[in-house]
Amino acid sequence: MPFFGDLFVSEILKKPVLDPKGEELGRVRDLVLVKGEPFPKVSALIIEKKKKLFNLRWSDLSIFNKRIISAKLFDESLHSYEFRETDLLIVRDIFDKQIVDANGIKVVRVNDVKLEGFDSEAILIAVDVGMRGIMRRLGFERGGEDVMRIFRKRLPYNLISWNYLQPLEPKLTKISLTVPRQMVSELHPADIAEIISQVSQKDGASFFKGLDLETAAEALSELQPDIQAALITGMDTDKAADILEEMPPDEAADVLSDLPMDKAKELLERIEKEEAEDIQELLSHEEDTAGGLMTNEFIAYPPDISVREAIEKFRKDAEEVEIVYYIYVTDEKERLIGVVSLRELLLADFDSKLSAVMEIKVKTVTPETDEMDVGEIVSKYNLVALPVVDAEGALLGIVTVDDILDRILPPAAKRKRRRV
Amino acid sequence: MKLWKKILIFLSVMGPGIITANIDNDASGITTYSVAGARFGYSLLWTLIPTTIALVVIQEMVGRMGVVTGKGLSDLIRENYGVKTTFFMMLGLLIANFGNTVADFAGWAASMQILGLSKYIMVPLGAITIWILVTKGSYRFVEVILLYACIIFVGYIISGIMAKPDWSAVARQTFIPKIRWSSEYIMMSIAIIGTTITPWMQFYLQSSIAEKGIPKEHYRASRLDVVIGCSITDIISFFIIVTCGALLFPYGIRVNEASEAALALKPLAGDYASLIFAISLANASLLGAIIVPLATAYYICEAMGWEAGVNKSFNDAPQFMWIYTLTIALGSLLVLIPGAPLVFLMVLSAVVNGLLLPFVLVCAVFLVNSEKLMGEYVNSRFYNYISWGTVVAVVCLTTAWVITSVI
Repeated sequence: MPFFGDLFVSEILKKPVLDPKGEELGRVRDLVLVKGEPFPKVSALIIEKKKKLFNLRWSDLSIFNKRIISAKLFDESLHSYEFRETDLLIVRDIFDKQIVDANGIKVVRVNDVKLEGFDSEAILIAVDVGMRGIMRRLGFERGGEDVMRIFRKRLPYNLISWNYLQPLEPKLTKISLTVPRQMVSELHPADIAEIISQVSQKDGASFFKGLDLETAAEALSELQPDIQAALITGMDTDKAADILEEMPPDEAADVLSDLPMDKAKELLERIEKEEAEDIQELLSHEEDTAGGLMTNEFIAYPPDISVREAIEKFRKDAEEVEIVYYIYVTDEKERLIGVVSLRELLLADFDSKLSAVMEIKVKTVTPETDEMDVGEIVSKYNLVALPVVDAEGALLGIVTVDDILDRILPPAAKRKRRRV
Repeated sequence: MKLWKKILIFLSVMGPGIITANIDNDASGITTYSVAGARFGYSLLWTLIPTTIALVVIQEMVGRMGVVTGKGLSDLIRENYGVKTTFFMMLGLLIANFGNTVADFAGWAASMQILGLSKYIMVPLGAITIWILVTKGSYRFVEVILLYACIIFVGYIISGIMAKPDWSAVARQTFIPKIRWSSEYIMMSIAIIGTTITPWMQFYLQSSIAEKGIPKEHYRASRLDVVIGCSITDIISFFIIVTCGALLFPYGIRVNEASEAALALKPLAGDYASLIFAISLANASLLGAIIVPLATAYYICEAMGWEAGVNKSFNDAPQFMWIYTLTIALGSLLVLIPGAPLVFLMVLSAVVNGLLLPFVLVCAVFLVNSEKLMGEYVNSRFYNYISWGTVVAVVCLTTAWVITSVI
């Protein structure tokens, strides 16, 4: 059935569908979508006559546009229809639902759906999320245009191409193609976190489950503690453990500390042993102290190796570590004796020893230091990371500047979701 | 489960029900109770018991939807009943809540005058403070203020006790209804229900429970929170009626406003009772003026799919910021304009509230019975009889209230 041009679904709802003689078969109630390349396409119309529903296949239509819809068959050959959960219906499942606009990075609500003719199929090309869509649904589109004309403005179209949409419903996710999925993993994890924090927890959880491990891990650390806890408890334990393992130990520890004891233990048991030990160590500190903020991923070398050796070692070691700006120099008892910034390391003579190039007056804090004091020291001495040492001077971990910033200026997704 | 664990769970989910309940006693509520107490003494106290039951039945359903679906009521209505229903409901909510906001600013102005402060200074000051507090302040700060503000409501209980009522008479009239068949009496009793069960509370409660993200397993604790909240609302109402009934009614002093009640208390009960009454009114009014415009802006924007958020700018979230700002600005301005049609606006707001309530409640009962949304948490058949009965009764009474307030 050829279909040219485009139309909005709300324009054809409740429109009569005619048989070849011009008799009314029923009125449009809904449209069934199926997967198509590159966009989902309409496979059938659901029409209603005298409270009964019928399924009218796309191939049985002869004219389809916003003024006339007619079929090739008569009412005796119509198939009756009952709503099924497995069908994907435009009005029931897409209209009025929340959807993620991956381009504008926000959660929007679908006011209308735009169909376009493509290869004799009607494909879902875009959704309308703007005021114009609402007006059209209410039957005020003309009136709205007239009002805006008084102000010499035009009522803007606010369409989002299906390419850029990421549905939240699992049912809708199946039909959307690989394109939007890629879009989502290309988003910055902080933006993904903000989207998750904007929708209901159920939708957020289904969205989160669709992310790959790495993206999930990064997005998780940007979220507010109670959402983190809800997401992790809601997943199966193995996947949750994988995600935690992917996270830097300090952030994994933050997540675990908000979980119930037995759940946290269960997860820790499934995390790789070395990683789990790091996390456990971090868990023993108070949340708002240097100990609670620090990570135990850092790079420390003995003083007697050469700069050349240090750089070579560094190239291997740095892969595993979240943020590196300094190389710490420790003695055989792990006591911190000096620090070399990467800049100094690269500028130094390659044959000199680390002990010769290192700065020996290192600013340090103990695990009990308050987070505000940590912030002040970092700010005063313009540091990117601050080492944390125990009473004997042994290096326990480092507090990096991004974690301090998070505490002082929490990003939107980490703030309380809202409000009243 | 051990007792301490149960208590711990309750403490973690507690809040939405109790905060909602406290905001329910806003300026117009306090006015109604004061007027009722002054005019009819204790004889309307019994109406609080059926009112509380109806409130619990309705709020429990809405709260359950919040826990199970994790979505607000306006979201659910939009997703299940489409744009038209939602649009008109939101329009109604906007008008009704604008009226509520005006009432709150009027209550604030009146209580400030009792305290000897000019309303021409205090109303703009209050409005600007609220606006800045919400848009520029941090959420946590606002939350702390709200929680502490709830405590001030205890003031009404204190003033009730200070009024030294005849407790045996109070108890008798609370538990043994003696209905008088005068039109004024009937109207007053209906007004008590109308001002206690309002549409916007249902939206507010469900969103705040959904926002809190209470897991289904803790639903029982959340229900307790709702029940306690409803009881607190009516305990406060009870003490307001008792205060006015004990002090004003025997002297035949009629009042039309909560602030008049506070003034009338002065010669009878002394400065403190009057002061407590006035401060509680100021608190209730300001609390209402913070929450009502903000909540309205949120529901409307969420239902229509517009950006919402207090830390967004006028460019990012224009509809949200304009609804919120204009409600506060116009609401406070109207109170200051001499001869502004305040009474008309209150009546209009009451009428729209009354017209809106049936739709909201019917939608709520249908939604709570949708297996697709609620799964095993739909109403049981027995509970359905109760909820439909309550809804029908409340709807009939508020319709009657609307008719009488128009005539």
